[in-house]
Amino acid sequence: MIIGIKDSIKLLGISVISCCAVLVCTMFMNYYIDIANIKHLIYSEQVMIFYNAQVSTAKVVCAVSGGCLLITSIIMLMFYIKHYIDSHKKELGILKALGYSELKIAGHFAIFGSSVFLGTAVGFGGAFIIMPLFYDTQNKDKLLPDIEIKFHPELFFYLVFLPTVVFALLAVLYACVKLRIPANSLLRDNFHTNAKIHKYKDNLKNDQSFLTDIKKCTLKSRKSLVFFITFASFCFSSMTQMSFSMKDLSSFMMGAMIMVIGLTLSVVTLLIAVTTVINGNKKSIAMMRVFGYSQKECFDSLLGGYRPAAYIGFAVGSIYQYALLKIMVEVVFKDMENVPEYKFDFPMMFLSLAAFIILYELIMLFYAKAINKFSIKEIMLE
Amino acid sequence: MIVAKDIKKSYGNGESRCQVLQGIDIKIENGDFTVILGASGSGKSTLLNIISGLEKPDSGSVFYDEVDITNLSENKLTDFRKKNIGFIFQQYYLLSNLNVEKNVKMGADLAGNKDYRSILEAVGLGGKLHKYPAELSGGEQQRVCVARALAKNPKFLFLDEPTGALDEQTGRQVLDYICQLQEKFGCTIVMVTHNSNIADMARTVIKMNSGKISEVFTNKLRKTAFEIGW
Repeated sequence: MIIGIKDSIKLLGISVISCCAVLVCTMFMNYYIDIANIKHLIYSEQVMIFYNAQVSTAKVVCAVSGGCLLITSIIMLMFYIKHYIDSHKKELGILKALGYSELKIAGHFAIFGSSVFLGTAVGFGGAFIIMPLFYDTQNKDKLLPDIEIKFHPELFFYLVFLPTVVFALLAVLYACVKLRIPANSLLRDNFHTNAKIHKYKDNLKNDQSFLTDIKKCTLKSRKSLVFFITFASFCFSSMTQMSFSMKDLSSFMMGAMIMVIGLTLSVVTLLIAVTTVINGNKKSIAMMRVFGYSQKECFDSLLGGYRPAAYIGFAVGSIYQYALLKIMVEVVFKDMENVPEYKFDFPMMFLSLAAFIILYELIMLFYAKAINKFSIKEIMLE
Repeated sequence: MIVAKDIKKSYGNGESRCQVLQGIDIKIENGDFTVILGASGSGKSTLLNIISGLEKPDSGSVFYDEVDITNLSENKLTDFRKKNIGFIFQQYYLLSNLNVEKNVKMGADLAGNKDYRSILEAVGLGGKLHKYPAELSGGEQQRVCVARALAKNPKFLFLDEPTGALDEQTGRQVLDYICQLQEKFGCTIVMVTHNSNIADMARTVIKMNSGKISEVFTNKLRKTAFEIGW
């Protein structure tokens, strides 16, 4: 069969996202269950307020990070399956023409669940490595009685086993829907006859230059990538700013963890999105180069259009982290004493923006150089 | 004038090494219609790619007047192609998400050519400006390629088996358009084909066999696209 472990490895993005989600959720859910066991030992009202704040924090963090990353993983899985089907139309068409049913072919997409298993398993295991430090940090003032780390098998079921099965089923179902194309249509040449016709007649004005036209077409034909690039900058912006802004509200460890997760998510997502754009437009780039368009013109026409999305994502991320921390301070910690006032950290925002611009432009520069290395002949022979 | 001197090219390494071009020397006059004729595997497409600057030879030089394009950097070579060269391929390579007009603008914009619609009219696609490649027949797609290549006003037009994917009638039409447009625009044409009948249309014919030139001759009596055999 044409889908194998090698293809599943390409879903590294989902592995990374699910790893981050399960890491955070395992730590907080395990902590949530373990501190519930010591609730009956709390007699002081002040300690009970602290306890309730810890429980609320665990709930908010699990819901926000887990939910957000779960949705992103699902979108990424669907995007990858669609991309896989689009780029393997001929092979899939041959299988359909030979008599394989849609369900039988789609069944092989269940292998994509393995990338989720990889991510969740690593995240789950990683959480138990960090957990002693995390427990100590959460209770560093020893307000709560000693909390013992316990392994909860149900968490393994909900955070590792269930997502793997659900994602595998989702992959099969989505592939089944996407494969409802006649074998004949799948078999037609992908590049010049069977490519999805994107009709932008109303949007493209005749007086626009070719480069403007192709920039708009690339952007509109790959809308899902706008989401991923926005998401990447959103993660970078919100998590880098949050990790510094919450230094008075939380521990250094929490800040560092948020920073690492934010940077990992944003870099991985950005790399996946840009690689997809470049690979999906290899033939267009080759043809433009043959005709004499410069490397810069090719690059700008394909990736220049995503830059505004990246900066919008950054702005939304800044607002999001401010709103989230404000809610945490004013709702979750409202009954606690000595909680510092939280204000928007403008210097940190500008610092984060500068770092993001450098990172974004460096990644773009790397890919611009990669375009120059394309062998025109090899691409045309593909 | 294009002058290629002692062009050698091989692919692969060790035992699988294959010498595709074994020291080719050719001269192509400005305004000429040259056909490079040969069987599959004779090295004709590789030669076309090298003299058009798409590929670098292992050794030898390709001069356009005084300029040796084999010594140009990738950026300078791209700029050279931009200013001088047009291509038509057997596989069309149209951009599938752009309509006919936008595909032709790809070539026209490079030359600042605002009058590209007249070329589309000339190739009989004036009424299909807003059609997409997948909505066109093979012959129509190839005519879009002809218009796209000519819209950049190239001094040299390279064609790699332009009728290879077309039926006889459509093939003749496309060749006729190319000849008519060459007369109108006066560019130099270098066409690669395995069809010896098409060679009757050319002024100069270069025959290739196993990476070498076996014969070069001039047609005293050139035939039109509708007079040649198929």
